[in-house]
Amino acid sequence: MPGFLAKERSVAPPDYNRWLVPPAALAIHLCIGQAYAYSVFNLPLTREGGWTLAQVGWIFTLFFVVLGLSAALFGRWLERVGPRKAGVVAACCWGGGYLIAAAGARAHSLALIYLGNGVVGGCGLGLGYISPVSTLIKWFPDRRGMATGLAIMGFGGGAMIGAPLADLLMKHFQADGGTGVWQTFVTLGAVYFLAMMAGACLYRIPPDGWRPPGWTPGSQAKPLVTDRVVHVDRAWRTPQFWLLWAVLCLNVSAGIGVLGQASPMIQEVFKGRVAASAAAGFVGLLSLFNIAGRIGWASLSDRIGRRATYVVFFGFGMLLYAAVPLTGRMGSVPLFVASFCVILSMYGGGFATIPAYLADIFGAPFVGAIHGRLLTAWSTAGIIGPALVNYLRQFQIARGVAPAEAYNVTMFVMVGLLAVGLACNLAVRPVAESAYV
Amino acid sequence: MSEPRRQGAAVALAWILVGLPLAWGVWMTVRKAMMLFR
Repeated sequence: MPGFLAKERSVAPPDYNRWLVPPAALAIHLCIGQAYAYSVFNLPLTREGGWTLAQVGWIFTLFFVVLGLSAALFGRWLERVGPRKAGVVAACCWGGGYLIAAAGARAHSLALIYLGNGVVGGCGLGLGYISPVSTLIKWFPDRRGMATGLAIMGFGGGAMIGAPLADLLMKHFQADGGTGVWQTFVTLGAVYFLAMMAGACLYRIPPDGWRPPGWTPGSQAKPLVTDRVVHVDRAWRTPQFWLLWAVLCLNVSAGIGVLGQASPMIQEVFKGRVAASAAAGFVGLLSLFNIAGRIGWASLSDRIGRRATYVVFFGFGMLLYAAVPLTGRMGSVPLFVASFCVILSMYGGGFATIPAYLADIFGAPFVGAIHGRLLTAWSTAGIIGPALVNYLRQFQIARGVAPAEAYNVTMFVMVGLLAVGLACNLAVRPVAESAYV
Repeated sequence: MSEPRRQGAAVALAWILVGLPLAWGVWMTVRKAMMLFR
């Protein structure tokens, strides 16, 4: 088994069909994407152990903090040992984390659930997220955006599978009495472990010098695309890394804040016109645009370039955020919904396009590790975005602003964030000659 | 079966295996999203 996991053993034969690699990546991302749907366990967990929603809510925060930290810490190790071994470790952590959390739920130990889901599972999340990135970029040098978009779309899709699946399992196990949480954790842990192991075992890296038939490096020469290499230890000390860190952080902060507040927001802005069930439908619609944006925008970036794609995200995003208060004043639910659908597609697109942007700027060989370090921007945005939306709303309401108008200032703050993001994106230039290996 | 055909079949099977659960998840979400238009 250790030999099978060795990087050399995962090198594909010359006639290998590269289209086998994206489903392997999808298998892993569809499993770890369950993290987005973890809130489905919140209420059952409060009943299971008598914990508060705030205490249980920390698991979600831990997921994304540990994701960023583990991706940053283990990215270099991943590049050294290859994606297969990293995928297997991710499967052990993600599946094993659920088993530890099941023991915690059964023993009514919140600390054990934090450890299992949040810390061990969070490590699986980080490693699993970055494990296919550099492999896909090496297999698809001609369509980097589409390839990483496919995998990262799986992360969004994982929540769509995870939420109803967990709900069905909990209902099934409730027949035995209790909340059914620990039994659901055991089942999900086993299913996710097996699916991720299958994905990890399918990973193949291309042989040295492999190129898609008929494609030559430089045949699609674009500004800001290099065929040279910047080492990971050098990359994070370049201004380009921190500009892209800011680009991701600001794009995600704007979207994640809205996503977390989408349901109460539409109900408050259109009070009496949008019921709770319709608001749930709005959240579902945003999820669909989120995953469609991941594959759609990332694929488009192969044609128009990464910088131009982010110019669209930030420029168009600013217009849409600025238009939201107007749609509220007009009382137009369709325009309000349409604005947020496009905003959320660009939020998803931002995640999916960034690995290809990094590969363009720093070269493909260390992109997994560089992407891992960049994901700390996501962890930061996960704290900034929701806090900004929540506190600005509370501040406005405390000043006597009507709830329907309370989001207007938030939207203009988002416009400001996106303007800074646009400036950072436009400042990205090729790295200095001295930075290349 | 020739190697390219065998690999083609493996590609189709792999996409079906990941595509089916994804399609189920999308369908469940579409059903939820339809509540907005009722």
